[in-house]
Amino acid sequence: MSSVRRWLAAFAVAALPCCLAAQTGPDGLALARKMLAEDNPGELWIDRGKDLFFQKRGPRNESLERCDFGLGPGKLEGASVRLPRYFADTDRVQDLESRLLTCMLELQGFKREDLAKTAISPALSNGSDIEALALYVTSRSNGMKMNVTLDHPREREMYEVGRYLFHRRAGQTDFACVTCHGEPDKRIRLQDLVNMTDQKEIQEVVGSWPAYRGSHGVVRTMQWRLSDCFWQMRLPELAYGSDVSIALTTYLHRQGNGAVVHVPGFKR
Amino acid sequence: MLGHRSRGAIASLFSLLSIGCATTADTAAIRDDAEQMVSRSFSAPEPALLKRLNQDEAQRICSKIDHAPLAQDESAEVVKLARASIKYPPSGKLIGNWRHGEQLAHDGAGDRIQSGRLEKRKENGGLCQNCHALEPGDVNVGNVGPGLTRYGVQRGSSEEAAKYTYEKIYNAWAYVPCSNMPRLGANGHLTPEQIADLVAYLVDPQSPLNAK
Repeated sequence: MSSVRRWLAAFAVAALPCCLAAQTGPDGLALARKMLAEDNPGELWIDRGKDLFFQKRGPRNESLERCDFGLGPGKLEGASVRLPRYFADTDRVQDLESRLLTCMLELQGFKREDLAKTAISPALSNGSDIEALALYVTSRSNGMKMNVTLDHPREREMYEVGRYLFHRRAGQTDFACVTCHGEPDKRIRLQDLVNMTDQKEIQEVVGSWPAYRGSHGVVRTMQWRLSDCFWQMRLPELAYGSDVSIALTTYLHRQGNGAVVHVPGFKR
Repeated sequence: MLGHRSRGAIASLFSLLSIGCATTADTAAIRDDAEQMVSRSFSAPEPALLKRLNQDEAQRICSKIDHAPLAQDESAEVVKLARASIKYPPSGKLIGNWRHGEQLAHDGAGDRIQSGRLEKRKENGGLCQNCHALEPGDVNVGNVGPGLTRYGVQRGSSEEAAKYTYEKIYNAWAYVPCSNMPRLGANGHLTPEQIADLVAYLVDPQSPLNAK
């Protein structure tokens, strides 16, 4: 897509929900989302992620075909629905994105600082490699159900930590995740808030990331979603692939077990 | 059939039994793990900003899991801490300038940290519109908090109403311990003068918030 077209698409997407909302209220928002989701520009990122996955890249000139997301090297189908999970080689519970980091460091020889710095792309940019890769790998589980098992004690621990963090209030806004995401039918300004304490609502979320975010014109991931919340909470910056991000993702994904994966999702 | 949560609870019970650990000890261990993770999962442009991650006593009490109720002594402690935190403008004037208050109420920016930078502005926004309905006809408003449209018509602009409103914005937990509302004055997000301007926006009969 040319850059002019991408800008136009982003503006159209950003403008549409507000105009429909002015005419028809919240139902207009739902309608706008549905219309746009049927022609989701995020689909383009899947092909890009696939190319990046199989290309020989990095200082070691390797592809990611030997990357193990938990089901064995290169096995992608159904891998993301089990994440986060414990990995013996790193002795850590990892989500999809931190696991991608591991493989890009260990297999391809990239530097952690370089990857972490560029992982979340600026709005209206071409997007990052990790965003495209995360979408490609997740898309290989499209149609499958989230199934985070917590069989390993470290997975159970991360779930419990995530649950604690979801309710932990801090900073000058006194917010925890649950402050905005604990009741039905709430909004920040016109933006609907997902009630993460409702299984059906949380399932719609966990099955829809990575997602194309219209107002940003790029594909966004769960790591971005969490860091954006901490930004609004006025807390320091959540480090990409940090334990706090993985603990919260473990909690949310487990709560959303049974959700059918359908990516890229579409967000305003 | 068991609900999702009950099944989760039974699963945790099993895991607790299998490692022979008391629930309270387990809760403390999880909290320690979590706090250690917090201390190594964030970055900030200045080290002093990392202190924002530390909880104060009231925040600790107010971080109940799954909407668990507060114990009576916990409520009392939160209210006590909140009352002790409240400071008033040196002028003693609790009803300021509603025009500035109106601007603040619609401003959701200030003091956020992104890409290694602190968002520095002349002043922080009041954040009100994010969660509260304000002037009649305002569309872009949230509903996490109660609507405030025509607040002054209902409550009047007496000294008593102004004092309550000022204190509620300065530290909402003085009235409803652990409510969702940020303690905007006590946390240093807004100054006493800014809060007095917000009070004016809410109670002044001339304020558009109180228009018919």
